[in-house]
Amino acid sequence: MKTGLTFGIVLLAFLWYLSFSATRLDRLHHRVETSWANLDGLLQRRAAVALELAHSTFADPASSLLLTAAAYQARAASIKDRSFAESGLSGALSLLQNELALETNPAEKALLAELAELTAKIRVAIAIHVDAVTSTRSVRAKLIFKFFKLAGTAPLPMTYDFEDDAL
Amino acid sequence: MSDLKPLKIGLVCPYGWDAPGGVQNHVRDLAEYLIAHGHDVSVLAPAVDESALPSYVVSAGKPIAIPYNGAVARILFGPIVFSRVRQWIAQGDFDLLHLHEPAIPSLSLLACWAAEGPMVGTFHAAAKRQRAIFAIGPILEPVIEKLSVRIAVSEAARLTLTEHLETDAIVIPNGIYAERFRNGSAQPQWSGNTIGFIGRFEEPRKGLSILLEALPIVSRFIPNVRILVAGPGESEETLKVIDPQLRSRISFLGRLSDEEKADFLSSVSLYVAPNTGGESFGIILAEAMASGAPCIASDIPAFASLLGDGQFGSLFASEDPADLAKVMIELLRDDEKRTQLSIAGQEHAKIFNWDTVAEQIFSVYEMAKVGSEKVGLASDNRSWSRLLNREGNGA
Repeated sequence: MKTGLTFGIVLLAFLWYLSFSATRLDRLHHRVETSWANLDGLLQRRAAVALELAHSTFADPASSLLLTAAAYQARAASIKDRSFAESGLSGALSLLQNELALETNPAEKALLAELAELTAKIRVAIAIHVDAVTSTRSVRAKLIFKFFKLAGTAPLPMTYDFEDDAL
Repeated sequence: MSDLKPLKIGLVCPYGWDAPGGVQNHVRDLAEYLIAHGHDVSVLAPAVDESALPSYVVSAGKPIAIPYNGAVARILFGPIVFSRVRQWIAQGDFDLLHLHEPAIPSLSLLACWAAEGPMVGTFHAAAKRQRAIFAIGPILEPVIEKLSVRIAVSEAARLTLTEHLETDAIVIPNGIYAERFRNGSAQPQWSGNTIGFIGRFEEPRKGLSILLEALPIVSRFIPNVRILVAGPGESEETLKVIDPQLRSRISFLGRLSDEEKADFLSSVSLYVAPNTGGESFGIILAEAMASGAPCIASDIPAFASLLGDGQFGSLFASEDPADLAKVMIELLRDDEKRTQLSIAGQEHAKIFNWDTVAEQIFSVYEMAKVGSEKVGLASDNRSWSRLLNREGNGA
């Protein structure tokens, strides 16, 4: 009788722990989604600014072509190739940095200021996202999460090599 | 910042609102800055005297004093407090919670436990590895990971966080109202070959004893040197250990108001921060720089990074009075170097201005609340609660 009761309590406590862990993981997945949505939004805005710059008066045909191609590539990239495509856009933008610095036209200046602001935000967003992905992956790697399949059908968040993305 | 839609923000301060301290000042300034920019702010904090609280502060009860990180921390914990925290969250209808110092057993940790939704945590402390308080890391982990974004006030605080809780943070410095300090006017009674010190000088980690030990050496080379100590505390105990002949060189000014502090920092020839550790930022150094006082600080990590490794102020080997004396004598004799440090420091201090700092904090808020859901009470066992049909029940 006594052993049965003890066993029951232990089982209940264990089930509670499983449920607690599942909630915890669900929250982490949510954090990854939020941080990604945020980063994605910022990167989209950067691509839009890059396109505007490409169509502005400052750009010579060659840089215009380069920027347009890089911006479209970044926008169209699948989630797997995203990091690579965004790095390409960063590269294209940084190539033009020197010319951009000399720009005096107020419209272009405003675009450049927006770009600088976006870049600062993207840096922060990358740090937040990388942190969310890392903690989710480390929790999912724990034995109990694996064994009881607490992650359900949620895909494993991808780690990105985002370090070089920000200008 | 003005073009953004106003938010309902809940700030949680872990330390007693009535006690002086860097975290409290930071929370107060941030709350007032956010209110001035049209946001609806509620601060939850422990308080001894509830009648003296500003309208935006909600008291969580009387704090208890416990020793923590080389000082006495006035914090609050326990089941009754927990239910108050839950009540505050449930009634607040917040868009976002900003918890300060959530890794120590305090109100902020309770709030982090109780809440769910967009949450930002700011980590102020820098502590050496293997402090008992951090031994609870594995227990804290599931709680701390609920924070959408973590902020550390300095690289030192960030390092503490990565070492103890294995999580990264974004570094955003503490804010100061730089223009207040820039406009301080030099007072004759505090001018001359004067050395300034501000802080709770009775606490050993503030390092006043190191400055006082350096005094005999300095006074041999600079006979008219004076040390001016501002801050709350009993001066008699401190003076007992000083050579009677030198006692006249030291003045205790008591606690200064904000205006007096700006004038004080603008008057002194040198500002010295001899802290021996436990500091993660050093707001007073930022203020001293903003007012144009040439600074000397111990080379603890937080101060070294704040002073740009010596670019914006001189460093001395921490806990070494002889080295401090050497640096002080050099600077007191070199007007040109002092002017140069003053200008460099004032320029550098601009990055700590509230306008700059709050902008960064606000951009973090925006990132934390993508998805625009609100803060609510957490249910740590969703499926369990659903099973028992009591999801989201109150305290």
